[in-house]
Amino acid sequence: MGIQEKLSTSRRGFLKLGAAATAVGSAIASSRLVAMEQELGGADYSPVTGEKRKAVPYTCMACNIEDGGVAMIENGRIVKLEGNLKHPNTRGKLCAKGNSGFLHVYDPDRIMTPLKRVGKRGEGKWKRISYDEATSLLAEKLRAVIERAKAEENHEILNEIVMKWGRNRTGGAVKRFMHALGSNSMVNHTNICESSKKVGLEPSWGPDIESCDWANTKYILNFGSNILEAAYFMNPNAQRLVDGVVGNRAKIVTFDPRLSNSAGYSHEWHAPYPGTDAAIVLAMANVIMNEGLYDADFVRDWTNVTAEQLIAHLKPFTPEFAEKESGVSADDIRRIAREFATTKPATTFSYRGPVKHLWGAYQEAAIHMLNVITGNVEKKGGYCLPRGMGWPQPEPVPPAGPALSAIAKPPLYPLASHAVSTNAPYMVMRGEAKVSVWMSYYDNPLYTYPSSHVWRAFLGDESLVPFFTSFSCYMSETTEMADLIIPDVTYLERHDPESMPSGLYPCLSIRQPVIQPLGGTQEFRKTLIDVIHKVDPDGSLGIRKYFAFDSVEDWMKQHFDNIPGLKEEGGYERLKKDGVWPVYGKVDKETAKLVDDNGNEVKAEYGLYTTEIPDEEMVGTEISEEGTITRDGKPIGVRINGKNYVGFGTPSRKIELFKEEWRTFGFNPLPTYKRLPSRDKKPDELVLTTYKVNVHTQSRTASLKYLAEMYHKNPAWMNPQRAARLGIKDGDLVRITSPLGYIVTRAHLTEGIHPEVVAISTACGHSAYGRLATLKQRDPAARWAQGNDPDIANNVWWDDRGVHPNPIIRLSVDPIGGSQGWYDTVVKVTPAQAGDKYGDTDVSIEQAMKDYDEMLRYAYTGDLHRAAHKEVDIDWNNLPEPKLTGH
Amino acid sequence: MPANDFKIPDDGGAATSGPASPVTDMSRPELQARAGLYALLARCLESEMDANLLHLFRGPLKETVDELGLDLGEDVMNARAEDVLENLAEEFTALFVAPGGVLPYRSVFETGRLFQTQADQAEAAYKAAGFAFRNVYSGEFSDHVAVMLAFVGRLFERQLAFDEADNASAASACAVQRETFLREQLGPWVIGWSRRARGCALHPFYRTILELTEQVVWEDVSACSDQATLKRLALSNRRRLMRQTADPDFRKASGL
Ligand code: SF4
Repeated sequence: MGIQEKLSTSRRGFLKLGAAATAVGSAIASSRLVAMEQELGGADYSPVTGEKRKAVPYTCMACNIEDGGVAMIENGRIVKLEGNLKHPNTRGKLCAKGNSGFLHVYDPDRIMTPLKRVGKRGEGKWKRISYDEATSLLAEKLRAVIERAKAEENHEILNEIVMKWGRNRTGGAVKRFMHALGSNSMVNHTNICESSKKVGLEPSWGPDIESCDWANTKYILNFGSNILEAAYFMNPNAQRLVDGVVGNRAKIVTFDPRLSNSAGYSHEWHAPYPGTDAAIVLAMANVIMNEGLYDADFVRDWTNVTAEQLIAHLKPFTPEFAEKESGVSADDIRRIAREFATTKPATTFSYRGPVKHLWGAYQEAAIHMLNVITGNVEKKGGYCLPRGMGWPQPEPVPPAGPALSAIAKPPLYPLASHAVSTNAPYMVMRGEAKVSVWMSYYDNPLYTYPSSHVWRAFLGDESLVPFFTSFSCYMSETTEMADLIIPDVTYLERHDPESMPSGLYPCLSIRQPVIQPLGGTQEFRKTLIDVIHKVDPDGSLGIRKYFAFDSVEDWMKQHFDNIPGLKEEGGYERLKKDGVWPVYGKVDKETAKLVDDNGNEVKAEYGLYTTEIPDEEMVGTEISEEGTITRDGKPIGVRINGKNYVGFGTPSRKIELFKEEWRTFGFNPLPTYKRLPSRDKKPDELVLTTYKVNVHTQSRTASLKYLAEMYHKNPAWMNPQRAARLGIKDGDLVRITSPLGYIVTRAHLTEGIHPEVVAISTACGHSAYGRLATLKQRDPAARWAQGNDPDIANNVWWDDRGVHPNPIIRLSVDPIGGSQGWYDTVVKVTPAQAGDKYGDTDVSIEQAMKDYDEMLRYAYTGDLHRAAHKEVDIDWNNLPEPKLTGH
Repeated sequence: MPANDFKIPDDGGAATSGPASPVTDMSRPELQARAGLYALLARCLESEMDANLLHLFRGPLKETVDELGLDLGEDVMNARAEDVLENLAEEFTALFVAPGGVLPYRSVFETGRLFQTQADQAEAAYKAAGFAFRNVYSGEFSDHVAVMLAFVGRLFERQLAFDEADNASAASACAVQRETFLREQLGPWVIGWSRRARGCALHPFYRTILELTEQVVWEDVSACSDQATLKRLALSNRRRLMRQTADPDFRKASGL
């Protein structure tokens, strides 16, 4: 029988053979024809002309992880972005957001020209003006404040110049600008992000974040972090997590009320009641300490507590107690504690989940402690210090403004070293701070803040905010309220110095324009120079000298040209070429590890705190009884067992599990657990939580077509059993009501959520941010020529833009770390009422103001603080007076 | 010019009946008129109304405007000049500059992105004719409708000059250049774009200018294109709706 007959000459025969061949897979794969990127990595070619595209390195800023990228340029246009193989932590890979970032550049809804408001504030009526006119107008407003401060001889007036930012990656430019103007009123966004994590960590060991050695670990305890999708260092951490779990057979256990993709990837997922992580962690610590599983040497030598002290402190926090609080079984807690303590090396990781609560800083301090008592700190495969590099500021550097600013650092939150930005509008509305010129940079509080409607009321009120400038290149909900818009460029068209501790290899990197700013737009840095030159045209105010840069590139050179090591290799020019410095090695195509020229893995350094201080540097130092080595009163190291180590960045140079400063303000100095008000909700109520998804940032990616198509609606996740009790089916319209008011959205029923929780993602439900985010045009589209963007006209197949939960989320500030308690709002979920429409939102300003007052009761001067901290040994009648603090 | 006697068929069929008259045969007054018309449209769409332009409409052009029954808006002809200018500047910005407007760029109309190869093509055509594009405000590109219209106007002007200098071959080359540009760079989008923008314009001044733009360009494109080209151009202007027929709810309610 011939082949034809065997195959029955039929298509079916060929299909069969093909299917069989497919099944044997890689056994017959050609070894000659390989995927293009594998061979080419870092080079790219035009499919039309075959010509090599120009490759320009940059630092990604589609989100805040600052991965290294390379832009492929063809005919002066960005045609593709890819990861920079020379960046030791990015290792050639960008996430979906990073890959889509170039759409920002060519987005027709980008603001390309300065706009001056001509209608009422927020009405959307504009007149275009030039950059020159715009910077002159802003300079005139700023100069007026400076002159008034002079005339009235009142420095505090300078603080009426306020800069509020969301994402400030300018490497000090904003601070230089504000200090040059004499103002300290810089309001960041950190408390809506992870500030309580920072404050939980900084007094403990110095830095504000950990850098887990994922790839070399054997055990990961993940508390409330969506490592694979959204958490800090998302792309580098996700890569190394996979290296660890797949390549090193590490076990990962995740605690999260929601089944995120990271939880789903874990060997075990436990869904605790929101905000009870510390109960679980302290119970684990209790088991580890009481069963003698702790690292006695490390606790003795490197902490400021004794094992006995810890055991006594942890006594009430038994696994049974934790089970009652969290719902996670005591048996599981015991088992995991033992596994964690006996599997070496091991590490925890945590991000927003545990800390975005009232008293979130306690939770982070507790998680940190697990690594300390098990001796995993700075071990290969353990819980490491972050590794970054600094750069100098060009001289002369302006001094801080002469008067301390309440809006920048609210006095009722003395431990919140990353400030309390959520309080800014309330403080102004209450007369606790004053504004003359409000400037907004990469910031959208009308969307991203809790009780976001308060910001609309605040920025919409010209008596509170007489002049408002936004530097955004997108018409966000906030920028819509501006009097003047001076558009910045996108991150692919600007200069910045960078160093992000996103892995174990410290490096510097730069952002540089991969194309010239589109259509003659102007980067923020240049706008700052222009404004200062116009505020102080002849230098008589003494401000101009701080911005005496010939160009933006000149400014960058001054950051980089004198860094030892880099200088010898070409300084800024070298960085422009590679995008990153140093270049440690190359990415091995098989293992994806960083290897040297001989193919050996580039070794990371560990045990940084045990670096010994050379004898010659000990000259002139003093050593305290506890071993702290100081020079001129400043701690520089610690003597342990006769050796002089640099130690940790704390006053004692040891890990300070006991934080005396916390006690001063009536907080528990040791990591503890406080039962949240939301833990005592009524049975018919739920806790509302939010989360980020893998293809969006909080707010500013909603206009990116690739990403909007992938994710654009955010129904409320509910547990089916709970929903059934409430009479709610999958896809039903529901009303979610908090004391602030309600939203109407849809329910998505899934087992992947704690029964007492309703979860709604961020990134959806925009009322501004371009056509794609809002799905609305300026006017109803004509029957043909629908929109002038054919993608939006033809390819937007969805008509659901989601519903934004923030208006019903209550202000709730951690009195220690300052974080917003995003996961503390208690709500009722009911089937929608007659007349309810999807997206309806009805919220109260009055209730928001009451929430502010209620929240202050938890601040260190408040009655609820005192009631919750009876165990603290302090003279409650003599707490320090609230006072303004510096910057 | 009659305002309503011209239709682009919905299905992209030929727009005009009868053979197209070769524009190269235009009389000198016709060439001059065309040059002026394109220059006027370009000026109106290039930047906000200013006192000079307002003066033109209220003075030298008033009779013609009235004669043709062009509705420029009651305020344009009679209201306080500062108010008119302020009002029209806002309308101009909303329509053509600010996010949410109908951006007047061929790149955006055809690709949904600013500054794509369409801008290079326009620039190349200007360069071949000895012109260069220079932006006044940031965010202006060479494939702006007004720059393209101005270019056609300049080519009419130049053709007239050659004609008056009895340089027939140069005049003819000019006509070819113009017709090619009309067919290849203005024709594929300006008609559709003008209609879209007209649908969004709130002020009669821009509605009228955009309607005129649509008609003038279509008339000139029709005059120099064969039936097949016209059909293609009509289709490309139409940007037919192509909604996916698949059920968008096939994705779980989570949107994942
Ligand atoms: S995680 Fe993604 S968006 Fe963020 S910096 Fe890295 S590649 Fe860019």
